[in-house]
Amino acid sequence: MKIFAVGNSFYGDDGVGAAVLEQISEAESFPGAELFDAHTDALSLLDHLAPGQLNVVVDAAEMGLPPGTVAGFRPEEVDLKIKSDHLSMHGFGLAETFAMARQLGSMPDNVLIIGVQPERVEIDQGLSPAVADAVPVVINLIKAEVQPDE
Amino acid sequence: MGANLDINVKHLTRVEGHGNIVVNMTDGVLEKAQLDIVEAPRYFEAMLKGRSFHEAAIITSRICGICSLGHQMCSLQATEDALGLEISEQTVLLRKLLTHGATLQSNVLHAYFLAAPDLLSVGSVFPLVGTHPEVVIRALRMKRLANDIGDVVSGRAVHPITPVPGGFTRIPTEQELLTIKTRLEEEMVPDFLATVDTMEALAGAIPDFTRETEYISLRNDDEYALYDGDICSSDTGRVDPHEYRRMSNEHVVSHSTSKHCKVNRSSYMVGALARWNNNHDRLCDVSLQAAERLGLKPDCYNPYMNTIAQVVEAGHCALDSVAIIDKLLAGGLKDEQPNQEPTRYGTGVGATEVPRGILYHEYTYDRQARIVAANCIIPTGQNLANIDDDMKKLVPEVVDKSKEEITLQLEMLVRAYDPCISCSVHMLDVDFIE
Repeated sequence: MKIFAVGNSFYGDDGVGAAVLEQISEAESFPGAELFDAHTDALSLLDHLAPGQLNVVVDAAEMGLPPGTVAGFRPEEVDLKIKSDHLSMHGFGLAETFAMARQLGSMPDNVLIIGVQPERVEIDQGLSPAVADAVPVVINLIKAEVQPDE
Repeated sequence: MGANLDINVKHLTRVEGHGNIVVNMTDGVLEKAQLDIVEAPRYFEAMLKGRSFHEAAIITSRICGICSLGHQMCSLQATEDALGLEISEQTVLLRKLLTHGATLQSNVLHAYFLAAPDLLSVGSVFPLVGTHPEVVIRALRMKRLANDIGDVVSGRAVHPITPVPGGFTRIPTEQELLTIKTRLEEEMVPDFLATVDTMEALAGAIPDFTRETEYISLRNDDEYALYDGDICSSDTGRVDPHEYRRMSNEHVVSHSTSKHCKVNRSSYMVGALARWNNNHDRLCDVSLQAAERLGLKPDCYNPYMNTIAQVVEAGHCALDSVAIIDKLLAGGLKDEQPNQEPTRYGTGVGATEVPRGILYHEYTYDRQARIVAANCIIPTGQNLANIDDDMKKLVPEVVDKSKEEITLQLEMLVRAYDPCISCSVHMLDVDFIE
């Protein structure tokens, strides 16, 4: 299994993915899993997505839900909006990266995106309380994915 | 009766952050031609106050996702200057190698993913994945190798961790550097030559527009200056980096939340074209041959050629990286510890070239080695006045074209500068399919 984080931990709740990876790493929650923090370079996922494995991607997601809400979904279950104004080098986001992976035929079959609704995404270190509370929820969701019977 | 023109491009695409192009011409008289910056200002400088010298580079590397390495290098220079931390030749070489990797990555992505769609008249890179997959795969391969230089030397490509004040916390192994060298020679150089072929086929679509301006970049005696050097103006020559305030003169303008800059004229340009104009005599032969094929001549005054200058210097970054690795290995890698014993406490300046142009950081430290004042001047801020001046010359020259053509030409102009108006936040925007 590979677990990816996307986002900038200096932008408040955009750092939720990095916080999840840190927690997983400290608690050794998933021995053998490969952890990769893409930071703001979502395009680098193209080099790391692994076919034949479960690929979990944790990112802050604007879902129109209450802050801290956690949702797991498959890329095909949602309309990830490709934002033309995000098509700068910085803004090559997850939606654009997956679109390119599909076009290039390198999109793995087994991808789980875990979105966390942020409360505030602005320059600041640290998560808002609601999003910090969501970190263990994300980890439990990954556990449920890899150990569905427990 | 003269022409009337009213252009208002809100949230220009394929640039980072939010900028609007506003052009207004009434009866042939140009009333307004400017890039409005509407992004809220970000307060990194305030965030730095009270931080220890260990933290400054970590925080500033987060100013920007793609220029993270450049901010980090500049921050380390400023801290080392302020605290009197001497660094070794090996540290300088490793930082130069990192700078080449970051420049390569950014220039390649800008040329292929952001500029090429304009030159091919397609709205984004996605149509190119279908029509020219081998070109997109080549661009991604070049990006990956550039990233891998960052991974090997700095611990990771984005927001690097091992470069610290006074040196590195980990030195790459000889084998790691040899592997990178082999890949540069066997992958990157052929990919660069193929890139020149691709860009030669597209270069005919670059608009023919010139406006001479002042060009400011680093310059030094030994090499094509990217990591360090004096500040060099095409108008007035070289000055020490500590003179950076006089060489930027930040000031507030009403239509932009970002400050504008000027030195000897109403505006100046920084970035790859400025580096080319000031330092083309320091480029390697492969880059000079590429420049000739791509129609980039010394003292080029066409801002649209900035993209071509980026491609040209990418070849230099690849080949000079090989030379740097040879030099590092010839001397034998030393397992040095970073020098973190301050010999003074005061003010220091860093000046380095990031892909978009010259970047300055200045910090003042107290006797506990904590920051009491910080100043960062980023390249895009320095280019904004120059973009406005370009627009004011361009619009009357193209006013006979259709509004759509004029708008596209203005958008291409702004994108040629590869502007980075804000740092980005990579939040997903999701609609669930019912």
